[in-house]
Amino acid sequence: MIATAAPRRRRSLAAVLRRYGWSYLFVFPTFSLFVVFTLLPVVQGLVLSLQNARVTGGEFIGLANFEALAADPVFIQAVGNTVLYATVVVAAQITLALVVASLIQPLGPRAHVFYRALFYLPLVNSAILVAMVWRWIFNANPYGLANTALSTVGLGPYLWIGSSDQALIAVILSAVLTIPGGGVVLYSAAMGSLPRELYEAADLDGASPFSKWRHITVPLLRPTTLYLLVIYTILAFQLFERVYIMTNGGGPNNATITIVQLIYSTAFQFGRYGLASAMAVVLFGMALVVAVVQFRSLRSDVEY
Amino acid sequence: MTRDVLINRRRFLQSLAAVGVAVACGPTATASPSASTTASGSPAPKAVSIEWWRRNYATGTQSAETITSDAAVKAYKDRAPNVSIAIQGGPFGAETDQKFDIAILQQHAGPDVFHTTGGDVLKYAAAGQLSQPTLTDAERNDFNPSALKATTYKGTVVAYPLWIVPWFEYINLDLFKEAGVTPPAYGNWTYDEFLAAAKKLTFKRADGKQIYGFAHANDEFAFMLIDGGRPYDSAIKTWTFNSADAVTGLEKWVALAQQKVMPPDFLTLNPNDSQARFIAGEVAILQRPSAMINVLNADAKWKFGTNWDIANFPKAKGDQTAWGGVGFIAVREQQDADKKAAAHAFAKYLTGPDIGPDLKKQTPPVEYWLAPAGRKSAAGIYGEYHPAKAKVATMGAFTYVLPNVSTWSEIDQKYLRPARDAALEGKKTPKQALDEVATQAQKLLDEANK
Repeated sequence: MIATAAPRRRRSLAAVLRRYGWSYLFVFPTFSLFVVFTLLPVVQGLVLSLQNARVTGGEFIGLANFEALAADPVFIQAVGNTVLYATVVVAAQITLALVVASLIQPLGPRAHVFYRALFYLPLVNSAILVAMVWRWIFNANPYGLANTALSTVGLGPYLWIGSSDQALIAVILSAVLTIPGGGVVLYSAAMGSLPRELYEAADLDGASPFSKWRHITVPLLRPTTLYLLVIYTILAFQLFERVYIMTNGGGPNNATITIVQLIYSTAFQFGRYGLASAMAVVLFGMALVVAVVQFRSLRSDVEY
Repeated sequence: MTRDVLINRRRFLQSLAAVGVAVACGPTATASPSASTTASGSPAPKAVSIEWWRRNYATGTQSAETITSDAAVKAYKDRAPNVSIAIQGGPFGAETDQKFDIAILQQHAGPDVFHTTGGDVLKYAAAGQLSQPTLTDAERNDFNPSALKATTYKGTVVAYPLWIVPWFEYINLDLFKEAGVTPPAYGNWTYDEFLAAAKKLTFKRADGKQIYGFAHANDEFAFMLIDGGRPYDSAIKTWTFNSADAVTGLEKWVALAQQKVMPPDFLTLNPNDSQARFIAGEVAILQRPSAMINVLNADAKWKFGTNWDIANFPKAKGDQTAWGGVGFIAVREQQDADKKAAAHAFAKYLTGPDIGPDLKKQTPPVEYWLAPAGRKSAAGIYGEYHPAKAKVATMGAFTYVLPNVSTWSEIDQKYLRPARDAALEGKKTPKQALDEVATQAQKLLDEANK
């Protein structure tokens, strides 16, 4: 039985290759670009993380870079800031995207197009420009927009990015207060494809609009929520330009330093490529763990 | 054999005709650098091509580096016609730094002559990639001693000091007049006089506009030097920026924050923002390097001696209380002796006293970037461009130049600045903040000394 099965498998593989082999030619260019520009750098990063690499080269030092990171208070602060930022911002952005998409859902097709474009359009702006605007909004002087606005109700002025206590809050607020256009568009598109029968049945049962949203819309949107959660978490972990522009890199007393900001300065300002690669590996591990947890906890077999 | 060397009249005339044709068809009447002999009979200099790598140079643009570099090459061509110089540029920043590192440290190739700053000079010297300058005693004495010291690696000068950028206090004379404060006589004041002036100069106008007495950018630590505190001992082996003098210096700085004489965002005020505040008339005293002279000079509303002046750092217990950066011209070590010699001659010219007058003769005249305080013999010519430069040319010796330590940027950015911020915010005492930095700083210093 075994002896006969093997040749049959070989034959079938050969047959598959004969029939579909040419299609690999079309995949090859993209695959080779992926290998050269994505896979190899990742592997090289892993190798560098085990070396004391500088621009002149490096030697294998095992896990010494990771031990140094574990004892480095600045790196620990960067991890804490990154996790705090990601937790608050991702939760806020997903909630905001869901709420905004839900609010525009009952409107007509023209209004849909208009609002989707309206919320998505700001995404084409340069992240640097956006960060510069937020820097001005949260300026510590009384003429900063946030302080000016708050002064009308008798509050402030606050130091915002000028204070180690408030700088990270200002950075988080700048992200939270930006409506996530991509999330709104995805949720809006997903809501448009939800089966109407479920809502009709709920109407017959006398369900309130909120009840329908809570028990039908939100659960059916789980695949979209999972996608957004993973993507937004990875993006939040990669926070760089907002901190770099708003708080000149790490803010007062390293209050806003993030992992990617520290990777940048460690590699390109301090010339420690090995240590920076170790930080990148830690970041990769964090993103992987969080993604796996999110997949496991939100995985669903929703079909409609 | 005898027949071969004999020159008859016919052959002589043929040779003469050939030379005549060659001269007539030549591009200019100037002797070609490749000619084997000169009119005087001595061997003509051999034609050499060298590459000069210059940060922020971009062909055809109007950046100061492009204008001055092109002018320098043009001027040098008149002095050494046999040397061709190609300039290669790159923006300031990590990308260009990496390009330098890869070429010089990994490929042992690239520039024949190049600019370098701070810790880079040590890095390249440690890798054996710098060709040592041959300076005469007169030249050594002519250079600013602080700058020369910063160019020294293991007892040997490894590059040519180019500029030294002292920090000064820029004062808005209109605001001084408005607040009834007398500017410091001859630009000199004590810390107490400075603090008293900054307090008086911090006021709110009737229209609600807030004026601040003093501002600096967030990349400084100058006040920690004011009582004589220094980052390292004289051997650059021990971290000493938590000494009693450094602590009292930081306390004087903290006093400025406590007195609220600085804008509230002073911890995140980048250099451009701080300059903008001064130019907008919101700050009475601004602490910036000598390059700020050019910024004010380019603005028609600012007239030196009328509405702005320049003063020294306030003086306390220390001798050199200002601080500054240095830049160097280095020659890369290589096998090609001709290129190396040409690169050294050009580097010497770039950092010497002749280039200033040469560039001034050009149409339009070009001001070179060698700082007035760079070397004694150059002070006069650079001072001629602007009265403020003439004034600061005599103030350079007041400057402490940070010795080159390859890990300095890591010590500074990762540990020292956050500690300074914590003290200025009142979260830690100056002693506590500086003591906490000491261990990590010493570790990085030891690493640099390996």
